[in-house]
Amino acid sequence: MNLDYSPSELMAVSGARELKDDQVVAVGLGLPVVASFLAKQTHAPNMTILFELGVIDPEPIHPGVGLADPRVWYRAKVLSSFVDILGAILHKGLVDVGFLGGLEVDQFGNLNTTLVGDPHGKFRHMIGSGGANDIASCAKRTVIIIRHEPHKLRETISFITSPGYLTGDRSRHDAGMSGGPSRIITNKAIFGFNPKTKRISLISIHPGNTLEDVLATMGCEPMVPKSVPFTKPPTKEQLVLIREKIDPGNIYVGKD
Amino acid sequence: MSKVTTLSEAISTIPSGSHISLSGFAITRCTMAAAAEILRQRITKLTVSQCVGAMDADLLVGGGAVKRLIYGGGSLDRFGRLSNVNAGIEKGTLIAEEYSSLSIAFRYLAGSLGLPFIPIRSLLGSDLLKRLEQKLEKDVARLTDPFTGDDWLVLRPLIPDVAIVQVQVADQDGNAWILGPRWDNAEQVKAAERAILITEKLVSTEEIRKDPERTIIPALKVSHVVELPYSAHPTSVYGQYDYDAEHIKKYVEATKSPELFKKYLDTYVYSVKDHSDYLEKVGGKKLLKTLQADPALGY
Repeated sequence: MNLDYSPSELMAVSGARELKDDQVVAVGLGLPVVASFLAKQTHAPNMTILFELGVIDPEPIHPGVGLADPRVWYRAKVLSSFVDILGAILHKGLVDVGFLGGLEVDQFGNLNTTLVGDPHGKFRHMIGSGGANDIASCAKRTVIIIRHEPHKLRETISFITSPGYLTGDRSRHDAGMSGGPSRIITNKAIFGFNPKTKRISLISIHPGNTLEDVLATMGCEPMVPKSVPFTKPPTKEQLVLIREKIDPGNIYVGKD
Repeated sequence: MSKVTTLSEAISTIPSGSHISLSGFAITRCTMAAAAEILRQRITKLTVSQCVGAMDADLLVGGGAVKRLIYGGGSLDRFGRLSNVNAGIEKGTLIAEEYSSLSIAFRYLAGSLGLPFIPIRSLLGSDLLKRLEQKLEKDVARLTDPFTGDDWLVLRPLIPDVAIVQVQVADQDGNAWILGPRWDNAEQVKAAERAILITEKLVSTEEIRKDPERTIIPALKVSHVVELPYSAHPTSVYGQYDYDAEHIKKYVEATKSPELFKKYLDTYVYSVKDHSDYLEKVGGKKLLKTLQADPALGY
């Protein structure tokens, strides 16, 4: 088997590595689905997977076009409601990890999924929150998965749909929230947040990329440690599972 | 007493300016036939609410029936965005009050329980909350917990005048089963003053009594029951039929310009006599057969 892997495959594997056995995980569609199913089928068999609209632990055999596609509810253990999932599990404080994506993220991990442009002038309205704001507000921690582009990784964003560390330091805590983002996984690198300032800081670079390129292709300046390791590549077992079992049609992982 | 009636009779009980909730979620169990009938009856100035904006709301906005939308964001999944809703927000012709999924669900929940408000941990620190706090008539407030002294964000209950709900099975009184996930639908109905059910299948009350655990909607909240197979088309109904990808794509194409959408409305809403006429127009029995769900899969 070809052990070359795409950046998206490494993103999914890196997402899976953030999950531990027995954890409760809230996911949206796309790479988070691959990451969480991969974790469940490898090191975290007792993990619980939640979809916001009322689905627990599905085992889809066909890819879906979104959370509203009954294909992704197949073989669920529970089919219920927002109040049961986002209320009695997430709001109650039982979600260990929530996966989030977005149009843009800032240096403090705040996410925008609402609009592009000037909110007080000309703008384009996009999708909005769905359960993203709830997950960002209530999960014990969140993992952000986003493409590595200057207009996506920014100093400031035009609209905070889902809160990260707001303006850094204690501002999230002062606004009444615990938790917060712990990782940003891009197609070039993995970032964390400084424990005190809560600013974005580089953790590892995916093999094949240079520090110069990682920094030059983002719109904010992360803290950079003295030596930056490479991200661990996927194992053969992980690639086999992704390609043959979890996403054989390349629907979620895509071509690159 | 039987509450069974026709779609047009049921919809004619909704005055312009009402607040209606819709049962759709993106492209599943959307109240499409009801939305089309609202447009045909020229009911306008509606307030529409739902947790996740769906194709039913987008059709109503595109037809000019909606003044205000209270929702948690939404899309047509991979098929695209809610273009009519977005265009309304961008042009300022639609008043949109944007929340998150759970904050709308909690507002319905408060309404369903008869509570004056409900505390929530969501929305804090976000620009969604900033906007809601800037509104003249506020539906959000801050409160001190009398037991712990902690600060809380609280939400006003959301009480629709009419909940329009697409269900799989109902009896003539309005006892109804919603199969599959139900997102906000149970809370919508319980919060609302009354509900109009659009059901795929009408069964006897004896059938309901055989499996009462499945009854999500009790008859006492229901004013009208309409039996109308395939009334969520082109969106899916779990266990009944799949979404019609080709028609959803056609819809998305039509939302690209006001002229195209006017043509879409003329073809699939205004020049259509009723729902069976609509089904003939979108492909008739031949199409519907291809959409039928495999009971073992649910789609």
